[in-house]
Amino acid sequence: MSHPTAALEARALNLAYQGKPVLRELDIRVERGQIYALLGGNGAGKTTTLNCFLGFARPDSGQVRVCGIDVGADLLAARAQLAYVPENVALYEHLDARENLDYFLRLAGGAATSETIDNALRAVRLPESAWTRRLSGYSKGMRQKVAIALAVARAVPVLLLDEPTSGLDPHATSEFNALLQDLRAGGAAIFMVTHDLLGAAEVADRIGFLDHGHIAFEAAAASGIGERFDVRDLYRRYAGAKEAA
Amino acid sequence: MIAAIVRTEWRAILRNQVARAAGVLMLALTVAAIVVSHERVTAVNAERARFQAGADAQWKAQPDRHPHRVVHYGHYVFRPLSPLAFFDFGVDPFTGHTLFLEGHRQNSANFSDAGQSSVLLRFGQLTPAFVLQVLTPLLIAFLAFGSVARERERGQLRLQLTQGVRGGTLLAGKLLAHGAIALLLGAPAFLALGAIAVLHGVVALEALTMLAAYALYLLLWAVGAVLVSSALPRARDALLALVGIWIVTTILLPRLSPDLAMRAVSLPTRIETEAAIHARLKALGDSHDPDDPYFSRFRQKVLDQYGVKRVEDLPVNYGGLVMQEGERLTSALFDEFMRADYARQLAQRDIVHGAAFASPLIALRRLSTALAGADLDSHTRFLFEGEQYRYRFIQALNGLHATEVKHEGDRDQRISSDHYTETPRFAYTPPAYRDVAVRHAGPAFLLMAGWLLALALAARYLAHRLERSGK
Repeated sequence: MSHPTAALEARALNLAYQGKPVLRELDIRVERGQIYALLGGNGAGKTTTLNCFLGFARPDSGQVRVCGIDVGADLLAARAQLAYVPENVALYEHLDARENLDYFLRLAGGAATSETIDNALRAVRLPESAWTRRLSGYSKGMRQKVAIALAVARAVPVLLLDEPTSGLDPHATSEFNALLQDLRAGGAAIFMVTHDLLGAAEVADRIGFLDHGHIAFEAAAASGIGERFDVRDLYRRYAGAKEAA
Repeated sequence: MIAAIVRTEWRAILRNQVARAAGVLMLALTVAAIVVSHERVTAVNAERARFQAGADAQWKAQPDRHPHRVVHYGHYVFRPLSPLAFFDFGVDPFTGHTLFLEGHRQNSANFSDAGQSSVLLRFGQLTPAFVLQVLTPLLIAFLAFGSVARERERGQLRLQLTQGVRGGTLLAGKLLAHGAIALLLGAPAFLALGAIAVLHGVVALEALTMLAAYALYLLLWAVGAVLVSSALPRARDALLALVGIWIVTTILLPRLSPDLAMRAVSLPTRIETEAAIHARLKALGDSHDPDDPYFSRFRQKVLDQYGVKRVEDLPVNYGGLVMQEGERLTSALFDEFMRADYARQLAQRDIVHGAAFASPLIALRRLSTALAGADLDSHTRFLFEGEQYRYRFIQALNGLHATEVKHEGDRDQRISSDHYTETPRFAYTPPAYRDVAVRHAGPAFLLMAGWLLALALAARYLAHRLERSGK
């Protein structure tokens, strides 16, 4: 039986496309106040896993829960608990940051007050001069900040990120990681899929290595001062697990 | 929530220079079509009224004459256009609008615009109906093809759905936004129809029905375009599909279906008809031949009826009676040919109307031309009314011949012009709204409603697919 406080949970997921298994007995659990990074090569099943949490892919068996809500049984309620930041942040370029937040907040059924929007934009440290500029002139990092601001404004407990740092320069990556840590400190559960082992090791509390649709192994960050993960060791273990598979 | 979706869609279009310019141009084109068409119809009606007044004045100015000379003098009648004809010229430019009424003959309508104008006329006219039927749907398709497909390509669709919005709500917002844009594009035409309804109470119902039909047609296009955009993975595919649908439903089918109808039900040429009528006329008998069997029997019947032995002893002029009988026979023959021709045209029209199941434009045209009084029925009604009038008018003159002109020295006599100048003038009466509604508007609305229902079912399926797969 799953723990009621798990923010994100996949249990024994199996999913096949055209007879080819994509997910195999996949188990993932992310607690509130935790950042979980899912790594894996191309075709390992990362995006499919993300789609299962978002409700865009339906597993053949197993359970997907967001804050205890079964995604298959009550899709809209589950989606109401999460915010999603895609790899290419797909906000509206013909709208400015405030208009984008206003629109997406209304879609989420939330109160889109000026105060909520301004506070969220301030929280993600988007310069005020950019708030009323159309997104067509934004960098990728700025767009991601707007997407994170949406999650902040919605005050959802779960954040799903798809390749969040791809295409970001080191400064933008650092700013982005700082934002994630703020959200984690606020109790949010953050699940990200990425290719970037170094980036994940910098920010994640747990790292899961996905291979052929199942978790080859998981590693937890060390507490205290010093390196959070031994990246070389992680890489060796991941390569070894792949070979064994 | 739906209002936010609608507003965002409108903003996207308003902030797109190309879309804005295209919309303004289309509105300007519609206004131009309204003004030009209205001017044309006003001029045509004024011209026909002037010609009719001239023909009536000539008729009244006749001196005292023998009634049979008046039968051959004849009279012109003109078909006036409905106040709604400015919206849709229908078949009017291709059919004649003038009848020359005379004894012994049934003349066809003359002086069609197409017959008198350059061949350029045949390439279509700038009427509000043409703009709304053909051009506006193309712009609706251009504005809506990316409404869902482009957002799918950019990932915006998934992002919206992950906010917890229902697929149906999202689609409803898009449909409402583009439905409103479609109605806005039709607004100048709707205002013109509204003005006609207010200014010409006699066609108010026709104008309002037409307004509702065009609104429904444009909505069909808006709904169809958004759903095609929802159904196909890429905006480019959606645009190609919509342009294809536009070509087939607004160009090909309305053009090909009459050709197919003409192949399926052929009409005799005018020469063939004339030859057939001539042959039948010869078989009827010759009233001028004293030995003609039919007219010999007729003479005997008249003599028996009046109890006399010779036509000279009749209390009426036998010559007038012969003219009446001859006219009765020939008119019955003309009527038979006219009805047979009309039946063939109706059979052709039924084939064209059948194609409306695949092209809502054909259904709309049926309704539009009928309500504008510019369809085959209105034209045929004019011909039938003209023929009925001709028959009554000629028989009245033949009656004068029989009663007011003496048998002896028949040809040299004249009667007062008062007898025929007081003949009631021809006045074309358009079909009643109820008849047009039952015959044309009802079936057309039913068909378009069927299309709308089919699209609604498709929308339901697509909304569910959007919500569950983000595609």
